[in-house]
Amino acid sequence: MSAVWSASRAAVRRRRLQTIVIGAVVGLAACLSVVALGLLAASSGPFDQAYARLRGAHVVAAFDPAKVSTDQLTRAAQQPQVEAVAGPYAQAVVEIRGVAGVSPPTSLALVGRADPGGAVDRLNLWKGRWVAGPGEIVLAGNPTDSEDMPLGTKLPVADGPALTVVGIAYSVSGSANGWVTPAQAAALHPTGVQMLYRFQHAATAAEVEAGQAAVTAGLAPTALLASRSYLTLKTSAAAQPGTFVPFLIVFGCLGLAVAVLIVANVVSGAVVAGFKHIGMLKALGFTPTQVLAVYLSMVSIPAIAGAVLGTVLGTVLAEALVTNAFKYWGSDEIGVSAWVVPVVLLGMPVVVGLSALVPALRARSLPAAQAISAGSAQHSGRASRVQRWLAGTRLPRAISLGLGLPLARPARSAMTMAAVVLGVTSVTFAIGLAASVTGYENADPDRAVQVNAHVDEPSAGGTDNEALLRSLPGTKQVTASADLEMLQVGTTAATRVRFWRGDAARERYQVLQGHWFDGPGQVAVSARFLAERGLAVGDTLTLQRDGTRTQVRIVAELLVSSSAVIFSNWATLAQIAPGTEPDSFEVQLTPGTDVSAYVGRAMAAAPSLEIFSGDDTDAFIVIIVATVTALTLMLGAVAALGVFNTVVLNTRERRRDLGMLKSIGMTPGQVTAMMVTSMAALGAVSGLIGIPIGVAAHGVVLPAMARSAQVRFPASVLHVYHPPLLMLLALAGVAIAALGALVPARSAARATIAEVLHNE
Amino acid sequence: MTNGKDGGPVVVRLADVRKEYGDSTALAGVSLEIRAGEAVAVMGPSGSGKSTLLNMIAGLDRPTSGSVEVQGDDLGKLSEKGLALYRRRRIGMIFQFFNLLDDLPALDNVALAAQLTGSPAGQARKRALELLDELGVAGRRDVYPAQLSGGERQRVAVARALMNRPALLLADEPTGALDSKAGEQVMDLLLDLNQIGQTLLLVTHDERLATRCASRLIEFADGRVARESNLERTP
Repeated sequence: MSAVWSASRAAVRRRRLQTIVIGAVVGLAACLSVVALGLLAASSGPFDQAYARLRGAHVVAAFDPAKVSTDQLTRAAQQPQVEAVAGPYAQAVVEIRGVAGVSPPTSLALVGRADPGGAVDRLNLWKGRWVAGPGEIVLAGNPTDSEDMPLGTKLPVADGPALTVVGIAYSVSGSANGWVTPAQAAALHPTGVQMLYRFQHAATAAEVEAGQAAVTAGLAPTALLASRSYLTLKTSAAAQPGTFVPFLIVFGCLGLAVAVLIVANVVSGAVVAGFKHIGMLKALGFTPTQVLAVYLSMVSIPAIAGAVLGTVLGTVLAEALVTNAFKYWGSDEIGVSAWVVPVVLLGMPVVVGLSALVPALRARSLPAAQAISAGSAQHSGRASRVQRWLAGTRLPRAISLGLGLPLARPARSAMTMAAVVLGVTSVTFAIGLAASVTGYENADPDRAVQVNAHVDEPSAGGTDNEALLRSLPGTKQVTASADLEMLQVGTTAATRVRFWRGDAARERYQVLQGHWFDGPGQVAVSARFLAERGLAVGDTLTLQRDGTRTQVRIVAELLVSSSAVIFSNWATLAQIAPGTEPDSFEVQLTPGTDVSAYVGRAMAAAPSLEIFSGDDTDAFIVIIVATVTALTLMLGAVAALGVFNTVVLNTRERRRDLGMLKSIGMTPGQVTAMMVTSMAALGAVSGLIGIPIGVAAHGVVLPAMARSAQVRFPASVLHVYHPPLLMLLALAGVAIAALGALVPARSAARATIAEVLHNE
Repeated sequence: MTNGKDGGPVVVRLADVRKEYGDSTALAGVSLEIRAGEAVAVMGPSGSGKSTLLNMIAGLDRPTSGSVEVQGDDLGKLSEKGLALYRRRRIGMIFQFFNLLDDLPALDNVALAAQLTGSPAGQARKRALELLDELGVAGRRDVYPAQLSGGERQRVAVARALMNRPALLLADEPTGALDSKAGEQVMDLLLDLNQIGQTLLLVTHDERLATRCASRLIEFADGRVARESNLERTP
């Protein structure tokens, strides 16, 4: 066995704590790096990844079966531009009556499909099973939906037998609201035939249009009822998961920076702490290169072990986080990119090697005598003026000594502080982000605690029901409304228009731009609606119903996240459909009201109403907050581990000083206070630096998230850093530093120091 | 505090003290007394248990069995905090390698001992300056340890040890790291202190220090008291 290997092994064994710290720090840093890189990689084009994996349709088209046969459609699809095609599938629109306590009345676009697979639009059947016969339905649903339809629910079809829900599936193409067997679809009086196309080239709108033109060439001009390019879907569907990308980039960069910084600090600290040992090796006859090899081996052994373990742990964590973050896409297959693991496995030891190399090269060139004395040489008072000043203050001496300690090793203190600054930045950013997204959720009336009551027969009793709901205990406000499905002329999409009666909604819905309705012919919409259609407040829309067209002007942008519904007033409804009665009531409850008890009371009092609770916390918000919390805890833990290492090194270097202080009567509590104070001081300064950076990151990321989500955040959501919160955040750095310092400080306080006092 | 059979009250009493580190025995049943105003030198070869004895009396280590009493208090019954307060108020320690804080000038090194007891900085510095003046190094009060000579460093260390007016001054090879001239100066200083009533316990290899400063010699061998004798101080 070579002398270098023997010396390295002995050094690793003799410095157990240091070896463990290096292994733990490199392990945690590797874990963090895998998570950070995994998230960064996944956040780059998740839609495209999911769309490719699930073979999403580039064009979803509906044809009129009266004008084109299935054979014609199949033949027309045989074009060189077409990569794959699915269909023809029978498509029917069915009216579903409301299910008490589960869902309001709705209409569903159903498609008859024999199986969820196929060449195009592979469905992710994430709950239940596929339809096996007539009377069964698989509903479309996203795995992130907080409330999906329970399996076994019977959906009452307005003009036919009920359909039993047997599964929930996700279509990345958004091709239908539900699927039934082809035989069942035929029985539902289909009004369309669905075709799903994937083209060889579909990166741009022109390529998609060219593909569509090719597959419809030769068909009757009016055969195509409607079609949708995946590019429009990409724009609107990117809204929610797209919001992940900006903050994941911030966390990814923070994570990588902290990981590299901490590893560099720990490893270089270990080498500097070993200068005396290096001198001894040289005195024994080790060549400078052999010394270098000993020290690189000494740090590499735990570092490699830590990197391997950390990468494994990081892969598991990152898979969970990425899957969770991008569950919205409905694909289980978006995971950590293959390149991440080898990059971290190779990169982390490189960072370790480079961190060790600089001080090791310095040690290599040191004369033996100087290296031996480096471990214990008395140096002149560094930063003495500050320490002198501290000694004269009224602070307890243990505290003033602690405050002066970081000045003795300024480079080490600076690196430790940099890590804590990044930790504080993460905490500041994360808390601001959580406050903003929850603030947004609370500000969005769609997500406020409320009870929705739908009327079975809107033509009768609307006013009575409103009075009845108002009389119930717990009712704060009732907003009566009627919904109409209308076609926005110029598009193929149906638009639901909600007409409010009275002004009650005015108090609940925040106008971000424009003004509240002040006459007929006016609508208010969400920011996402404007973004998806390229409209602005002041523009006009033409809505069509039963062949009658009505022009309306957009007078307000409301704080509402949905683009599926727009809002108007009763005066406008009177022009479009005079005599319409309210078909639903949104009830806001007084604070503290038991929602389920209220629903029970309301159902008993008004049997004609279908009442269900709209109280749900958006699963997406929960995912964001959970992801942010997990990442912040990891970053905080790594920063605290860096502090831990610094205190371990400081106490080791200052064993003699600590012994002397104990010999003149410093109590264990005072020793602990001194060492914790030394790091808490760094933490406090780190707080002052890290908080503005975190606030700035929040200021950049939140608007980026809003742009991705196609929503507009009101000022109250953006400005979440109020003085009390800032005061608390200022303690974050102190907390990270104090937590990291506590264990080694207590260990130093308990250490036996008798021997060190009597020997040089 | 109890009175010994020969004059002053007993300050230190060890009763059958044993200290074992694993298989090795550092102290093998040591019993001894030190009375107020005495200057006792402990000598013996390396590994004979001298420093272990000093650690026991300083409350830096605890005996495996037996008892160590200082001014009537059984150190074995004190908590870690109690031992720290004991060291702060009852004893002063001087070490071979001074053990001064490199980051503090001489004055603040001395004042530190009083500041740990809660004395205000100004008051502590005033007392520290008086002590440095008495020991002849007041002119070096703002100098850092690295710039002091060995003798000056040990004087500063003695001043620090005396800061809280200890009942017992413990010295571990106080001249071991000094040249002969500086050693002489420290010997004179210790002798002067004893002559004004300071109880001293010296652990040393230096026979000259023992015969010059101590009134009683305890010789250690293999963790036991091998011989005790009274000394005639030589000038």
